[in-house]
Amino acid sequence: MYGYVRPVKGELKVSELELFRAVYCGLCQELARRYGFLSRFLVNYDFTFLAMLLAEGAGPERCKKRCPVHPLRPVECLCTTGSLAAAADMTVVLGWWKLADGAQDKKPPLAWCCKLACAALRRAYKRASDRQPAFARAVQTELSALQQLEQENCPSLDAAADKFASILRAIGESQPTEDRRRILGQLLYHLGRIIYILDAADDLAEDMRSGSYNPLRFRFTPADGRLSPEDERTLRESLQLSHNALAGAYALLEEGPYSGILSNTIYLGLPAATQAVFAGTWKRSPKYHRERRSV
Amino acid sequence: MNDPYSVLGVSPQASDDEIKKAYRDLARKYHPDNYHDNPLADLASEKMKEINEAYDAITKSREQGGGGSARSYSYGTGGSAYQSQSSGRSQYIQIRNLINANNLAQAEAMLNAIGTHDAEWYYLMGSVYWRKGWMDQAGQYFRTAATMEPNNVEYRNAVQYMNQGGQAYRPAGGMGMMGSDAACNMCQNLICADCCCEMLGGNLIPCIGCR
Repeated sequence: MYGYVRPVKGELKVSELELFRAVYCGLCQELARRYGFLSRFLVNYDFTFLAMLLAEGAGPERCKKRCPVHPLRPVECLCTTGSLAAAADMTVVLGWWKLADGAQDKKPPLAWCCKLACAALRRAYKRASDRQPAFARAVQTELSALQQLEQENCPSLDAAADKFASILRAIGESQPTEDRRRILGQLLYHLGRIIYILDAADDLAEDMRSGSYNPLRFRFTPADGRLSPEDERTLRESLQLSHNALAGAYALLEEGPYSGILSNTIYLGLPAATQAVFAGTWKRSPKYHRERRSV
Repeated sequence: MNDPYSVLGVSPQASDDEIKKAYRDLARKYHPDNYHDNPLADLASEKMKEINEAYDAITKSREQGGGGSARSYSYGTGGSAYQSQSSGRSQYIQIRNLINANNLAQAEAMLNAIGTHDAEWYYLMGSVYWRKGWMDQAGQYFRTAATMEPNNVEYRNAVQYMNQGGQAYRPAGGMGMMGSDAACNMCQNLICADCCCEMLGGNLIPCIGCR
């Protein structure tokens, strides 16, 4: 979706990197299997993380499969599991709404593309929201509340971030035990908060040029598309506190086959993404999936 | 109870030192300071109790076979700070109890019903926001409370805690979100703490030359 939630590959073990790729490819395969070819374009790192986070039980099984991106050499994919299927459903639900949002907010050529994609994925969206009714409801309510806040030029960063964070928190609600619901609820809420704030910081200059809503415009007093050093410190402090809450929740989860990748993503990946966003290098960073392809 | 060795994540053949290290790592992870005013503090303190019991069970069984040592850490359960310093209004005591019980909606409603806003009102509102995860607003309210009553230790601590970026467990090499600036501050704090420790006869950062 946004791509901020991903591990620092150089710090993964080789076996973990292979597993990470298998989950990513597995999610893409699962999307195609459940929702058809077009939905493959919605695959993203955030929901790859989610598939790993929600996974329970023993080590995952893998199989080799061909796909349009790898037509000649089959790649290792995760075989379908409950968490992978759930991640695929939610990818479609949130992805579709993001496209619908783009159809409204973006300028003509891009808006038409979004509209077209929305129409093409409509059936997939319907099926996905039937499979995850509670999540689909949460996405719909929270996004319309967010839209309302945007129209009012809401100056509260927390209130705006809360809407997106609540969408992610809803993902944890289908967990079987009360403890896991609480832990994942807090983890995902703060993950959502961090994603929303990073996205706002990353888009600040662009939003100021185009006059679009951005909570940072109203919470702080940015000039030339940048926050003052003092404001930036306040914002990063807030991100740090959310990160602490996220890490505190994560520490309470049982270890599993994905712990290495998840820890890397949380303790290294998120701080690295934050660093890149505030240094202004995030959008220019090289294509992540092409890094060190030859392992 | 679960097998104490698997609770600590070590094999039954592990040496005393390995067990101590595993125990210390876990104790650092679930330390109440990392769950300061956190809605999950009860779960963390349960974990802490579990590893304390496991460590005690192992040392005890090993002591019977000779050797071994008692646990050097003794953590209490993570208590909450909201009972302590409430001033006059009985309403505030009630609100503090609601916050402690994680009943944030009702606490917020009660605060909103109060017409005049003194320092404690801002502090408690900040606490509600903090628990909700609205860190930015929590900071603003805490700062207002501390400005209104600069001598109140509770409010000042809350502001200071936020300015430091709070506290959380990170594994070795883990990074924070504040960038190099904060890391620098952290080193300064550590060195400061070391100086204080040394004054009291302890040593936080062992001196390499002294060995």
